Amino acid sequence: MSLWRLEWLRLVRTRRWIGLVGVYVFFGFVGPLTARYLGEIVDFAGGELEGATIEFPPPVPADGLIQYVSNAMQIGTLVAAVIAAAALTIDAVPEIGVFFRTRVTPVSRILRPRLVVTAVVVVAAFVLGALVAWYETWALIGAPSAGGVLSGIGYGALFLGFVVTLVGAIAGRSRSVAGTVMVAIVILLLMPALGIIDAIGRWLPTRLAGALAALPAGDAAAVDYLGAAAITVAAGVLLVWLGARWTERREV
Amino acid sequence: MIETRGLVKRYGSVTALDGVDLAVARGAVYGLVGRNGAGKTTLLGILAGLRSPTSGSVAIAVARDDVAVLPDTPRFDPWLTGREVVSLAAHLTSGDAARVEAVIAEAGLADDLDRAVRGYSRGMLQRLGVACTVVGSPQVVLLDEPASALDPLGRREVLDLIGRLRGSATVLFSSHILGDVQEVCDTVGILDEGNLVFQGPLEDLLVGSAVPRYLVRCRPPIEPVMVSLRDRPWVVGVDPVDGDRFSVMVASLDDAEVRLARALAEAGARVISFAPEAVTLEQAFLELTR
Repeated sequence: MSLWRLEWLRLVRTRRWIGLVGVYVFFGFVGPLTARYLGEIVDFAGGELEGATIEFPPPVPADGLIQYVSNAMQIGTLVAAVIAAAALTIDAVPEIGVFFRTRVTPVSRILRPRLVVTAVVVVAAFVLGALVAWYETWALIGAPSAGGVLSGIGYGALFLGFVVTLVGAIAGRSRSVAGTVMVAIVILLLMPALGIIDAIGRWLPTRLAGALAALPAGDAAAVDYLGAAAITVAAGVLLVWLGARWTERREV
Repeated sequence: MIETRGLVKRYGSVTALDGVDLAVARGAVYGLVGRNGAGKTTLLGILAGLRSPTSGSVAIAVARDDVAVLPDTPRFDPWLTGREVVSLAAHLTSGDAARVEAVIAEAGLADDLDRAVRGYSRGMLQRLGVACTVVGSPQVVLLDEPASALDPLGRREVLDLIGRLRGSATVLFSSHILGDVQEVCDTVGILDEGNLVFQGPLEDLLVGSAVPRYLVRCRPPIEPVMVSLRDRPWVVGVDPVDGDRFSVMVASLDDAEVRLARALAEAGARVISFAPEAVTLEQAFLELTR
């Protein structure tokens, strides 16, 4: 029984992977379906709002992925943060923390498999959901640009990797899973608010979250995200270092 | 094997340890006793590397991998089975995987080893913790109140385990159950409000630190005899035990051996028996920390 197998068992035995994959795959199915049939759904509901008639333009392929991103990057990120916090807040139950801390040194050896396995599963769930959304968009609406979709998936995956490292760093300061999740969510909400200023927003990791929506729609080019991607990688490395340092220094 | 010099630990304005000089010899079973809040858990936490001292030094003569720690209420990821927990502990401490089954059997968990630990009772978790502690064959074992919340059977098993470790490992064992310490430890340290007020062999504590007592039994009435004894300068105190027994505290055993028989005769006591009263660790502890 290695620490790597332990993390795999944590996801499987607690069934957390089902929640994670379920959320992304669900929105992968629902996003394009909503984009394709939104007009019909509104018509079915009456199609009028206080005398005004609501009409939607015919859906275009990018709409399916826009719907997926708008749902998956909110609920999915929240679920990813909860799952990451549950794995990375190693002192949430102090006696379990003592079990590992007195057997494994340095603490970064405890954190490494937790970070990697969680990040890989979160990214895999997002990619799986994106592939489902891509296929269903192709089947219901039409084929979006493959280059845009693949680049968007890559940037989205990078953003979710950043979310896991952010949670890992906060877990180095917090002793509770709920506290870790709340602080992470507040930071992730503040970043887009800061990003309203374009000069700042173009460099923030949260910009990558919308790449899968913007690139197939032709609203941006893949190179436009390179700055934010570089910042995200650098911030991720820094957060991993900080998380290990803070967790190492904390007294149990 | 374990030595601390001037160990101080402060939490804000509270001093948990105040210049502790601990010395645990190789192969000793050392009992660290003290009231709740005396600093036992803080001291063990520092020795285990879980806390940092404010000042002072810690020296343990083995590698960190050879130090095993058992907290007072061990807990494990609840979705693991007992076998997986011990296997993980063996893997993380370079323990011999072949020992896992033997250690589990020794801990009395053989029938439950494939059950998830979320269904384990408190006693079973403690036994599982013990199995995880010994599976790596550590040279130093730190046990924090290992039997404090166990039923008599569980307590007996933990004490037996500590007894079995004697000779193969150095054991530092904190407890406020003084009977347990007296039973299994050869060396005792008494921690009181962060100060190590006694450290040494158990016999030295029981013989040297406590005021010697004699238990006297004689025909009633015992009150005139007690009054007569209280007037003697070498008698520290006289306390009735029941209708025909009383306890005589003396300044020294020599005084009692030379003078007590004569003093009883002069008081007109009809003596049935008298003998030195065995001093318990509890009495010694109370006298040192009162």
